[in-house]
Amino acid sequence: MTMRLAIQGLGPVGGFGSGTAALERALVTAASCPHLTPVPSFSADTAGLEAFVERKTLRRMDHFSRMAMLGAFLALEDAGRLTAGRERLGLVLASGYGAARTTFAFLDSSMDHGDVCASPTSFSTSVHNAAAANIAIVLDLHGPTITVSQFELSVPSALLTAGQWLTAGRVDAVLFGSVDEFCPVIEYGLQRLHADQNPPPPQSSPGGTVPPGEGAVFFLLTRVGEESRYGVITDIRLGTVANGEPRIATDAVVVVNDQRGAMDADTTAPVPAPAPPRAVSYTPVYGRLPVGPAFDMAIAALACRHGLTAATRNHAEPAAHPIPPPSHLLNAPSITCLVLGRDNTFGLITSSGRG
Amino acid sequence: MTSAQPVPITGLGCLCAAGPNLSACMQNLFGGMRVPRPPSRFSTTHPVRFPVFEIMDDLPLPGAGLSRTCRLALAAAHEAVLDAGLPPDLLRGQRVGVCIGTTVGCTFNNEEFYRDFRSGGSPAPELVRRFLQSNPASAIAREFDLNGPCQTLVNACSSGTDAIGIAADWIRSGICDIAIAGGADELSRVTYNGFISLLITDSAPCRPFDRDRKGLNLGEGAAMLVLESARSASGGNRPPRATVLGYGLACDAHHLTAPHPDGAGLKRAMHDALAQSGIDVGNIAFVNAHGTGTPDNDRVESGVLAEMLPGVPFLSTKGYTGHTLGAAGAIEAAFTVACLTAGRIPASAGFVTQDPALPVSPVRTVTAVRTRAAMSQSLAFGGNNGVLVIGGSPA
Amino acid sequence: MTTKEQLKQILVSDLNLEDMTPEQIPDDSPLFGQGLGLDSLDAVELVVIVQRHFGVEIKDMQEARSAFQTVETLATLIDERRPTT
Repeated sequence: MTMRLAIQGLGPVGGFGSGTAALERALVTAASCPHLTPVPSFSADTAGLEAFVERKTLRRMDHFSRMAMLGAFLALEDAGRLTAGRERLGLVLASGYGAARTTFAFLDSSMDHGDVCASPTSFSTSVHNAAAANIAIVLDLHGPTITVSQFELSVPSALLTAGQWLTAGRVDAVLFGSVDEFCPVIEYGLQRLHADQNPPPPQSSPGGTVPPGEGAVFFLLTRVGEESRYGVITDIRLGTVANGEPRIATDAVVVVNDQRGAMDADTTAPVPAPAPPRAVSYTPVYGRLPVGPAFDMAIAALACRHGLTAATRNHAEPAAHPIPPPSHLLNAPSITCLVLGRDNTFGLITSSGRG
Repeated sequence: MTSAQPVPITGLGCLCAAGPNLSACMQNLFGGMRVPRPPSRFSTTHPVRFPVFEIMDDLPLPGAGLSRTCRLALAAAHEAVLDAGLPPDLLRGQRVGVCIGTTVGCTFNNEEFYRDFRSGGSPAPELVRRFLQSNPASAIAREFDLNGPCQTLVNACSSGTDAIGIAADWIRSGICDIAIAGGADELSRVTYNGFISLLITDSAPCRPFDRDRKGLNLGEGAAMLVLESARSASGGNRPPRATVLGYGLACDAHHLTAPHPDGAGLKRAMHDALAQSGIDVGNIAFVNAHGTGTPDNDRVESGVLAEMLPGVPFLSTKGYTGHTLGAAGAIEAAFTVACLTAGRIPASAGFVTQDPALPVSPVRTVTAVRTRAAMSQSLAFGGNNGVLVIGGSPA
Repeated sequence: MTTKEQLKQILVSDLNLEDMTPEQIPDDSPLFGQGLGLDSLDAVELVVIVQRHFGVEIKDMQEARSAFQTVETLATLIDERRPTT
């Protein structure tokens, strides 16, 4: 769907740190290092949250909610709207797996102590919309609030509704966020599932060679009318890879997030995506996770704003998509963030610095 | 919110403990039949066996190999597509949107797998594969070979209502011309334990709005609506069953599990839904309330209904279906359409004794209603409130 | 350790009362509302906590409301019902 959405604020949280400066630093210096325990992964630290919220408020909040909360505050702060009115502000959150660790913490409570001792706090915090609820409570948001879970297509799918709300005037601004947490149980399953696949899955796919990541990215979106600080989102599409779809402008740079499962690799139609150097991938900067496309969106937004110098980190295997020279993203008339998902599906989000 | 185009509802499908399809459900609702019983597919170590509303095991479901939630969703989707008179060939490869609400359907919470994992075992990954293949919106898109936007909403207990409202917005904005929208959830030991731990589960069959209500009973099921743009629907050979006139959603921003004591978010959602529908409160013939049977929910809802829709008859259908979580809003929207068509609403099952603390109470008997428009509403964990205004068939 | 002391330690650790020590909780301070500031979700968690640590069952919210007024009232209930070991 073609639409015009302005990005006014950005709040990234990940293995690279938190805030736009940390993400830029990681892109430029390639300094985002995976932690090595319990398995190599990019873990996100949420200590920065105490600058915004009293510790007492965080008492019952799990890691999943905290990452999202930090992203939300950072995006509002970045937009200079920490104290602005929120009467007509919507909240749209995307998550591939939800609060997975708390889901298992709830199971622990009944497995350890019996069904009668199952923890009601863990249960109510494990619900997928708990992070959005916590954000709404702390920020006092009374507008429309939804959480979307569409695995690797969570980000473009949720953004479609966020854009619809803005375009149709349901709200005047949307706090659009995404969050996923590293969960050893799910990671074990993905590794097992993909271990013996031939050919191996793409590096950024579930079970691929890029270490798993976690984190949150939030955006403050408005209609175009007021000037956009981070370029303009011009197109959001979801569908099936077939018959020449997804069609992408021939002069666009494409940020690819290939999350097709290994089983999909044999059967999928060829993707009509451009070849390097017009196609790039940043998953080694933040890790592989279902909501990875939100990090790509953030990188595209930074490129639209001030000319990002992006470097690629050398990973265990050669990057499928070499990073272009620094000027490349800057000079592109548009940047398309393309995510490829299971069952031949795709989602794309196109933005342009020139509005 | 400004008023918007009505969105035709051209097909309906529904299955739950009240019946294997929508017409069977309505027959049982109007007949006052309900079948709460202890869960048959799992056991717990709770001293009390809290009743649930299960779908019988002998009901054949499509989608072998997928989660039960997905299989329920597929069954309801097939019924709805058939009801809409849409030949599957016509849908294949088309820009048909799918918007589905669920809770359990998006959660990997398999106890068998996890028990093995946490004791150091190496559980086979098949259950993870099934989880990854069982996103309800994707499963429907795959089943009908659709090529449009997919969205699974996880807004807890308002998910089904929200999915229908959002899909209607998609149609109005031209994101797609046809959408399959609804909700699905299976009964799970994990949610059963969860709701019991919150002390909001009734050990007797649930009693929404009754003085002696003690909580909810869980249920399972799915309902799907086929929504079409006016242009697409008029290409068909029958008038729409009903229309989505308006939708509102708002957040209490009050508490993770408790509703706002004055129903602030519910009132705002109602207000927005009415504004989008462009009709007056006076045109609302009845309200299909959330009515879970928990002390808090029913108190808040009764207060809001008394204030916003005084004198308008209302009911809870959860006495027939149990609380089907992410499916509830969709099942209740489907019932709302069927009631508008029938011009009557069933008795609010489980309501016997008026609660002096509640300003208004639901209908006790089958009640004739006008057919212009009705409201269906959901309240959820996290303070979400979703409200649909549904218009009767113009014919 | 008395039941009250034990209970205070458990409240701080299991309900994550991060900025409090067990010693800071008065015996007669209301657990909910203005006192410790606990809410309805803490109340149901407390039911589970009491069951898990002391083997004492509180069967519904009605019973919980009367037992959960203060540390004192809850400790008394636990001592009355605690299975003898």
